[in-house]
Amino acid sequence: MFSRFGAFLRSSIGKKSLMAVTGLLLILFLCAHVVGNLTLYADSDGAKFNAYAAQLEALGPLKLVAEVGLVALFGVHIALGMRAILENSEARPARYKDLAPKGNRTFASMSMSITGLVVLAFLVLHIVDFRLADFSEQGLAALVVERLSSPLGGTIYFVSMAFLGVHLWHAFQSAIQTLGMRHPSYAPTIALIGRALAVALAVAFASFPVLLLATGGQWPWN
Amino acid sequence: MSGGHDNHGGLNLTLHVWRQKNCEAEGHFETYALHGISEHCSFLEMLDQLNEQLLSEGREPVAFDHDCREGICGSCSLVINGQAHGPDRETATCQLHMRRFHDGQTIYVEPFRAQAFPIVRDLVCDRSAFDRIIARGGFVSVNTGSPQDANAILIPKEAADLAMDAAACIGCGACVAACPNAAAMLFVGAKISHLSLLPQGQPERRRRVLAMVEQMDKEGFGNCGNIYECEAACPKGISVENIARLNKEYLGASLTARPASEAAGGF
Repeated sequence: MFSRFGAFLRSSIGKKSLMAVTGLLLILFLCAHVVGNLTLYADSDGAKFNAYAAQLEALGPLKLVAEVGLVALFGVHIALGMRAILENSEARPARYKDLAPKGNRTFASMSMSITGLVVLAFLVLHIVDFRLADFSEQGLAALVVERLSSPLGGTIYFVSMAFLGVHLWHAFQSAIQTLGMRHPSYAPTIALIGRALAVALAVAFASFPVLLLATGGQWPWN
Repeated sequence: MSGGHDNHGGLNLTLHVWRQKNCEAEGHFETYALHGISEHCSFLEMLDQLNEQLLSEGREPVAFDHDCREGICGSCSLVINGQAHGPDRETATCQLHMRRFHDGQTIYVEPFRAQAFPIVRDLVCDRSAFDRIIARGGFVSVNTGSPQDANAILIPKEAADLAMDAAACIGCGACVAACPNAAAMLFVGAKISHLSLLPQGQPERRRRVLAMVEQMDKEGFGNCGNIYECEAACPKGISVENIARLNKEYLGASLTARPASEAAGGF
């Protein structure tokens, strides 16, 4: 059984399937993450947001399990993505003068590797900014304001969320297709759901840096 | 012919054609000026005229693949101004007409490019990787004997239609050429769909998809990124639904196929 499964994971379709499954789970994570972020809008002093963060901290060993799971999801997704970039460039060593569009490509589908790499760079910055920072005195909400209200920090977060949105624009329907689900009755709806999800997530995540940039670092809801 | 749209003097074109002595040699574009090309001739007939011109000048003609010249054999190839089989949808290069180009146009002509399709000479590439994939499973095994009644095997109309659409694949390789990743998923998807949708394809269904995908990977094609340029470039309009079916068949076969030692007598 394991040799069969190993052969599956070594195959191009197996690797793509794993990429699709990890990608879909990461989209679920992003949905949970953004709901947490939105508690910043729930009151004027960030108390609800801080309480939400404290609740996650209080999970103790469960939080560790969730973090290990996330590291595994991101790790597998990123490693397979890197490998696909290398394999695909080996699959066409001699380039065309200019491979022109024949009609089905989109900006998002053509730039998955670039948007993925930018999101990876952002992920590293984001973990350093918040996961590894000590916010026990000021509280997490104040740290968010501090990090995102500087023009550089806010711009980096805003631009990164735009890249994430472009990545997700193609990602959802691509994952569904890779897992073998396509039907003429549902394919357009699935593409639409994926794009709506991409826009909703990118806009919701980007709203904080944009508001903080616009208000010069003031709590915009005060 | 009413001459309403005719360009009586013919088209004057500047061609940049990829020239390469063999697989190992460095290739390069060579530039040729062509005059008075009829807009009624096909792209390949235009190349024939270029070769006549080159021969009359004592130069080496351009090598390119072609056979039936009526869009059904899958021999012709070419990437024309960056598009596999040129600008038209559902049209092979042999059926592309010069009326799609305008007087004074510059045209770049390249071979299909992929690691798995090594260049033999000029615009000719070796597509036998496809043959090796077919040899691994693109067939059904049937006992020969007296012909059975034509209606002995019932096939739903929808399955017959979908299988026929997939079987329209002529194996030209435009899907690989147009894919930014040089993946062969549309070709393999078409072959898998064509047989797995029909009752005759069932006995070897799981073994077929495992073997053909293994060979596809071995040949060095890229990974599908679901960009779907293959579908747009396919001269037969093969749908990417066939790629989803390939993924599903492969997932299913990987999960359920028995090890060879256990599966005495086949899968």
